[in-house]
Amino acid sequence: MSNLIFDSVTKIFGEGSSKYVALENINFEAESGQLILVVGPSGSGKTTFLTIAGGLQTPTNGDVKINDSTINSLSKKQQTKLRLEKIGFVLQSYNLVPFLTVEEQFKFVDKLKSQNLTEQKMHELLSDLGLLELLKKYPNQLSGGQKQRVAIARALYTDPDYILADEPTAALDTDRSMKVIELLRDLAHKRNKIIIVVTHDLRLKDMADKVYQIIDGKMTILEK
Amino acid sequence: MFLAIKEMLHEKLRYSLIVALIFLVSYLLIILTGLATGLANLNKAAINEWDASSIVLNSDSEGRLQQSFLSQDEVASLPNNGTRISQYSTLVKSENGLKENAQLVALDSKSFIFKKLKITSGSKNIRNNAGVVSDKFKSDGFKIGDYLLVANSSLRIKITGFTPRATLSALPVVYISPDTIQSLNKGVTNAVVFKNTLNNSKIPKGTNQLSIGSFINKLPGYSAQQLTFNFMIGFLYIIILIVISIFLYILTVQKLPNLGVLKAQGVSTQYLVLSTLFQSFIMSVIGVIIAIILGEITAITLPSEVPIVIDKSNIIVTGIGIIIMSLLGALIPIRQIAKVDPYKIIGG
Ligand SMILES: Nc1ncnc2c1ncn2[C@@H]1O[C@H](COP(=O)(O)OP(=O)(O)OP(=O)(O)O)[C@@H](O)[C@H]1O
Ligand SMILES: [Mg+2]
Repeated sequence: MSNLIFDSVTKIFGEGSSKYVALENINFEAESGQLILVVGPSGSGKTTFLTIAGGLQTPTNGDVKINDSTINSLSKKQQTKLRLEKIGFVLQSYNLVPFLTVEEQFKFVDKLKSQNLTEQKMHELLSDLGLLELLKKYPNQLSGGQKQRVAIARALYTDPDYILADEPTAALDTDRSMKVIELLRDLAHKRNKIIIVVTHDLRLKDMADKVYQIIDGKMTILEK
Repeated sequence: MFLAIKEMLHEKLRYSLIVALIFLVSYLLIILTGLATGLANLNKAAINEWDASSIVLNSDSEGRLQQSFLSQDEVASLPNNGTRISQYSTLVKSENGLKENAQLVALDSKSFIFKKLKITSGSKNIRNNAGVVSDKFKSDGFKIGDYLLVANSSLRIKITGFTPRATLSALPVVYISPDTIQSLNKGVTNAVVFKNTLNNSKIPKGTNQLSIGSFINKLPGYSAQQLTFNFMIGFLYIIILIVISIFLYILTVQKLPNLGVLKAQGVSTQYLVLSTLFQSFIMSVIGVIIAIILGEITAITLPSEVPIVIDKSNIIVTGIGIIIMSLLGALIPIRQIAKVDPYKIIGG
């Protein structure tokens, strides 16, 4: 069982008169096997929340713990290593290296890190995601939905404990958005991952196990 | 260096353009250094063959052999292990009409310089108006046994041997005996050359000792010529540095979002930096190798009047120079890579 905990996390940008509180006293907890949605209007602090969860930024106050160890006190190098080994990022765009074929995106991960999905599990994942026919294509030969599916596969390839996704459906129409979210939910349930998806698309909230809302840097859990 | 190689193979046009630029500048550099070396050799090759360390000239000669005249007293008061040199530039003709501007250099056949002279063919004999001449005469059609008719004089010098690398101020040298030159310059000694450096107390008043290095630098036109070349060569190094910096900078800026995401995905900055350095290195090595090959071909195909010398040390210095410049050129892009904050990319 892995978990991700925010313990009274505050993030303040700037100082003095230009001081801006982006996140205020956030308490948050996620466990394996859950798809968690974080919703909120533009500028409310969603991306800030996600990047702190992924160790890309450090909180001004409070602690972020992964499997009960604090990550915000790690060095930059250790945080990079942690991201490589434990976290998979899926972003709105630029997820894929433009000059690598789909197959090579995974080979590249092999060069960085030795223990990744076995060939058999990988094959299973690729066929689940409908990517087997796309292995020889470059990102610019893929549709938006295909790219997003490859990005998800790439994030899962290192067998991370978490997937952090920032607006992974922003480039997709409603149908495809639903499909991607469904896929992420299945992955959370079947493969026992923590999957946190940031979105401002409220239509997706029925699919999640838990939904948090951020407004003006304050986080509340939404009862379903 | 998986990423670096895949990128170059996928973006062949971009990277070939940079390689082409590196090649063009390296080629120009190799040709220029070749010419600089070639011209320098034309000026000083004969002096290098002497293998001496100092030369004593008249104080008023400004280091110029032609302007230096030593009196018999001055020569007599110098140590007697030096080689006395008399020099006379003139036009010489063969009996069948070949012409050549030449430097006649008279020295004693027992002198250390004469003993050192190498012979490519014929014999080393300068007695009785015989001469050992630069092998430039040979390539221009002169043969052993031919007579050189000295212009405005009745002197006839018989070629007995050819000696390699014997040019002085861009003219081929004819080594003759002091007796032979007597009729041309009344037996004046222009300078005395020493194998070792003399103690200052041994230099008579009115004369001046120069190291062979500074004597060469004072050869007419030599310093100005070398300075011009060095200036152009230095400039080309700066140009290549700027060109590589700009290209790599633009390429890097274009892919910053991707680099930011790669960092978010856990790719270390070190990996990305090494990747860029590796690309820069590979491109410069390819560019330099093509330049060396084409430079050699150019040197071979150019007519022999063009004094181009592409030797190993030139190639090594130029090659390493270009590679260092291209690695330096990667510094600005590397700063970009180190600075890119994945959060900024993700945050939009
Ligand atoms: N580096 C920064 N310096 C100062 N303020 C910042 C910085 N980064 C973000 N902010 C501010 O923090 C707030 C939250 O930003 P964040 O990017 O988390 O919003 P978001 O919820 O992801 O919005 P969107 O839905 O538009 O992506 C914004 O008001 C933003 O202006
Ligand atoms: Mg955002």
